Amino acid sequence: MKIAVNHLARIEGHANLVIDSVRGTVRELRLEIVEAPRFFEPMLTGRHYSDVAHIAARICGICSNSHTLVSLQATEQALGIEVSEQTQSLRRLLAFGEILQSHLVQLFFMALPDYYGEASILPLVHTERALVQHALELKKLANDILRVVGGRPVHPVTPVVGGFARLPEAADLQELRRRLVRVLPDLEASVEIFGSLDYPDFERDTDCFSLRGGDDYPLFGRQLVSSGGVDCAVEDYRDVLEEYLVPWSTAKFARLQGRCFMVGPLARLRNNFDLLSPMARQVAEALGLTPDTANPYRILAARLVEVVHGVERAIHLIDELLLAGLQAEEPLPPQRHGRAVAVIEAPRGLLFHSYSYDAQGRIEQADCLIPTAQNLANIEADLRARVPELLETGREELTRQCEQLIRAYDPCISCSTHLLTIDFA
Amino acid sequence: METRAATPLRSRPGPAETPAGTLAWYRLSRSDIDRLVRSLNSAYEVVGARCRNGRYTLDRITDPAELALEFPPRVHSPKKFLFPNWEKLFRFRLGGKIMLEAEKAAMPRVIFGMHPCDLHAVRILDDCLFEGEADSAYRAKRQATVLIGVDCEPDDYCFCTSLGTDRIDSGFDLFLHRVDDGYLARVGTLRGQQLLRRHLPELQPVDDPHLAPASKACRRSIRFPVESLAPVLGEVYDHPVWKKIGDRCIGCGSCNLLCPTCYCFNVQDRLDLNLKGGERVRTWDSCQFDQFTRVSGGSDFRPDQTDRQRHRFFRKYKYLWEKHQRTACVGCGRCSRECLAGIDNTDVLNSLFTEQATAELTPAPGVEYQPQMAELVHVEELTEREKLFRLRLPKAVDFRPGAFLQVSVFGVGEAPLTIASAPDPENREIELVVRAKGNLTRALHRLSVGAAIGVRGPFGNGFPVDEFVGRDVLLVAGGIGLVTLRSLLLTILARRQDFGRVMLLYGSRSVDAFLFRDDLKRWHLGEELDCRFAVQEFNARWGVTGGDITHLFRDLDIVPARAVAAVSGPAVMYRNVNPLLFGLGFSPDSVYLNLERHMKCGLGKCGRCQINDITVCQCGPIFPYSRIRHLREAIER
Amino acid sequence: MKPRVGFFDFASCEGCQLTVLNLENELLDLVELMEIVEFREISSAHGEELDIAFVEGSICRPEDVKRLRAIRARSRQLIALGACADTAGINALTSDRPVAELVREVYGDKGEAFLVAGRPRPLEAFVPVDGRVPGCPIDGGEFLTVLQALLIGRTPELPTFAVCAECKLRELPCTFERDVICLGPITRAGCNAHCIAEGDRCRGCRGMVDAPRSGPYYRILEEYGLSEEQIRDELRLYNLGGEAKK
Repeated sequence: MKIAVNHLARIEGHANLVIDSVRGTVRELRLEIVEAPRFFEPMLTGRHYSDVAHIAARICGICSNSHTLVSLQATEQALGIEVSEQTQSLRRLLAFGEILQSHLVQLFFMALPDYYGEASILPLVHTERALVQHALELKKLANDILRVVGGRPVHPVTPVVGGFARLPEAADLQELRRRLVRVLPDLEASVEIFGSLDYPDFERDTDCFSLRGGDDYPLFGRQLVSSGGVDCAVEDYRDVLEEYLVPWSTAKFARLQGRCFMVGPLARLRNNFDLLSPMARQVAEALGLTPDTANPYRILAARLVEVVHGVERAIHLIDELLLAGLQAEEPLPPQRHGRAVAVIEAPRGLLFHSYSYDAQGRIEQADCLIPTAQNLANIEADLRARVPELLETGREELTRQCEQLIRAYDPCISCSTHLLTIDFA
Repeated sequence: METRAATPLRSRPGPAETPAGTLAWYRLSRSDIDRLVRSLNSAYEVVGARCRNGRYTLDRITDPAELALEFPPRVHSPKKFLFPNWEKLFRFRLGGKIMLEAEKAAMPRVIFGMHPCDLHAVRILDDCLFEGEADSAYRAKRQATVLIGVDCEPDDYCFCTSLGTDRIDSGFDLFLHRVDDGYLARVGTLRGQQLLRRHLPELQPVDDPHLAPASKACRRSIRFPVESLAPVLGEVYDHPVWKKIGDRCIGCGSCNLLCPTCYCFNVQDRLDLNLKGGERVRTWDSCQFDQFTRVSGGSDFRPDQTDRQRHRFFRKYKYLWEKHQRTACVGCGRCSRECLAGIDNTDVLNSLFTEQATAELTPAPGVEYQPQMAELVHVEELTEREKLFRLRLPKAVDFRPGAFLQVSVFGVGEAPLTIASAPDPENREIELVVRAKGNLTRALHRLSVGAAIGVRGPFGNGFPVDEFVGRDVLLVAGGIGLVTLRSLLLTILARRQDFGRVMLLYGSRSVDAFLFRDDLKRWHLGEELDCRFAVQEFNARWGVTGGDITHLFRDLDIVPARAVAAVSGPAVMYRNVNPLLFGLGFSPDSVYLNLERHMKCGLGKCGRCQINDITVCQCGPIFPYSRIRHLREAIER
Repeated sequence: MKPRVGFFDFASCEGCQLTVLNLENELLDLVELMEIVEFREISSAHGEELDIAFVEGSICRPEDVKRLRAIRARSRQLIALGACADTAGINALTSDRPVAELVREVYGDKGEAFLVAGRPRPLEAFVPVDGRVPGCPIDGGEFLTVLQALLIGRTPELPTFAVCAECKLRELPCTFERDVICLGPITRAGCNAHCIAEGDRCRGCRGMVDAPRSGPYYRILEEYGLSEEQIRDELRLYNLGGEAKK
């Protein structure tokens, strides 16, 4: 049986799935990445530091805030700029805003239609109007955090090297807080929806790679850990992580100490379960998640837990900011130049930017490592394990479940600047 | 033929411009003003200057403490409240029939903090938007808006003192003068008075404090009188300065958008999201924008920034001056202050002036009315009533045929007299014909050679001789009207080969009344000119037709399509001759009339020569018919 | 029958399609006005004939050209969505360097052997385009205006004036006052000077106006101390794509 799904839908970017099986054995399985290459590292080379985050954001429209934030951090570290507490809090708020926005789009727009047997959320506008409105309201709230703090949801404007070009108005933050508090009880409806989904029964344990938080569930950090025992400083990520070209695939894949691994919500949650906010931990338990959950379909549930956590943390961050009072600050100038690595827990997992700057404040060399590139090998490994269990169910069901599995990872192909393409003539 | 109403339908501006009887004054403390703002907030939207991040803007004021009454000129114009950038004209519904929904009434609003220049700007908006069919959307807002003036300190870009817009005596409802211990409010209208009475009832009027007008100093200025702007600009359409600033201009339109008097707009339909209806809105436009002068078919009649910048200056200082006798500039400096390319209005105007400055443009007060002395060098009797005077001027002057000289006899007076000789920039001598009729002309007739005569000028727009080149020329003169045409005729004859057929029709009371009999005889016998005469009294010796000049139009062998006509005579002649010319096929653009008899001061000031909307001495006295056909006063009387 | 609309993407960040999805207040009304028959980012449905195709992204490879032509062939109207589709946008940033060199830089020597890529081009370089929504990302409001025009059969029109004008209308302080270079004077309006309002400067993502006054503008930049190379560097970010159209 040969199955080819071209231009997989409801994921970001272009990928094809090709499965070739003979008498119950999978002979060939590959996730082809057909996205055109965009060469971001050369785009960044030679650019002045004030333009770098602007360009880096355009790697991905879905997680442009994460790219911006990690890019700014890498630049600031390379140039010896230390930002204020206020700037850090606002950036965290921005990061949570994007996690909420990205997770909500994935949960309601991309994943949920599978469980309703629909091609998209659009038919649900008529059949499940309340659900759609609920989803839109949540999504709008997440976007409004990005609007108030970052200037707009896609490609933020206000975060700049050394601080912010414009501060949010206190009244706008208060209004966001009011809405966030109001939405917390509503989230129970979402928990009910995603708690009642019929997740396929499939487990494959893998190495879960993430930042390890200190006293907080991690967004930014300096320490990388994995369930398989990796424990290293961010600067040394190239020692444990290796990117490689595979002749049968189109992408640069990545391995962690020689093995495939997982990044993203479930990996984060498993490594930092104890750091979830109280309500998020309750939700995790209600959804049956534990530090040992190994069913990749349940990444959806982990995502929802992070939504709850994000709402709670956003409220706290706004409280802290308002309590301290927003102070006008001039963005700080560079102190030195050199090389630095920064990492952020983006919605889909670890996102690395590494830059070196010359004395004129221009980039000499840039390297970006994107979460989806790290997950690709793991997705293929999951599929290899899953497909034999499904061969009996027929082509249609097999395809559906494979797509569902891929979507659970929320791959972001357009992000994957490293991914190449070959002609499969 | 299109006709125009003799007087434009002019709606009164909404607010009662009538002063509140005797001008009242009130003394207010800052806390009175705070109470006023608080109280006004219940019935009005209160707008004023407030400071955010070191920058003043005019905005809604709910907290009186935020209201600034002393603020720099660098705020956006209050135009945004009276003539907003986005204004709904009406709503419509799509689908089958179109349903119009009227716009709601304008919101009552008080603008605190109109600087004098901005109050002047409102007058200009009134001029333009109430003219003809009044703009009702503007009127509604204007009526609903209370204007409260405050004084201001000019900054480096202001040049209000050059335009007299640094102070103002009316056009506001209230004006707040800063005094040591608070403010003196000057009442400008009944509405202003009532506003104070209603919202601060305990205030008592104070005696007129006779405030000495604050003297303001602007670093920038226009170095010549504002009334000479229009005439100077009239001479410099092709001046290289336009290209110079055009080459700098980036076409961003900021100068227009920030200007307190620019009101040009664009109209667009905006649809509702559901596509069931929408609204027609107007938004500000700019004469610097690409789309502004693009016409159907895609061509652009003002295609580059050189043309567009010139247009901006001409509109500000010439076109609207000629229409309303006010520059459409109040010297607020906003355009120059915000121009990235550094285009500065005063620089441009001053550089033009320096080059154009001639003896006629005089800086000292009253000097423009002072004549220079000319010598009478020759006097010749032409008829019983008319004498030819030859004057020697202090220096040679150039002019167009049809121009006139202001001639004075001290103790008697001054009058405009058309020049009868041809222009000659090398020759100091010119000829005038004087008919002894009034005091001045009789006094002139009494003078003899060697006498000193006062002269100013020459003034006026004469015949555009260069535009006649290559065409047949028909001259139609009645009586003393020949004087003007003689100047033209001599000019033509001096370069005869440049023109086609030249024909003179001359009508007079009698042969004895003919002027320039020697010239006429020479022309009549010569080959260069085809002369035909008409007198009411038949005269065989001259072979003239009996009857008035209209008889000469019978069997007139002229091809109007390639001819121009120059007509000079009394109004009764225009009444009779014009229809004949147009009957022959002359176009209104190719018939030129002389309206010289209407003039008086020669400077466009005295108002005597204002015929309907035209000042003859500034715009004429020679006009193509197309320009003045709506002037019923000129042609019918 | 409701117009059938599809959304497609090529080399891009998909941020413009996301901006459409971010119109939360309008989305339910939009669904009433049109039938979205293809939108891979959120739907696995496929359509055949389309009334309007919105296409995001630049065209880099032969297979992109083929797919684009196929979309064009089944769409009554085709609209370029965002800077990448309209001018090649930020993708054209490297357009003055040989592709082989870029491949070697990013993928190493092995990559070069099997990578098929070309210079990123706007849609217009390959197919006729009936309208465009410029910007990086697009402005949601402008997308709605263009969509409305298409739905009632009007040719969508973009502002012909520059961002500078919108900036003045919003009473924003000019960035040049704080010695910050801004591309507002030559960039097409329609974004309501968003970036300047947010404290940044205009980097020209919407492309230039039809007739930019480049000469006088460069003179101003030179007066602010920029060298010819620096001016080119400013324009390079979004505005060398004009060359990519050729």
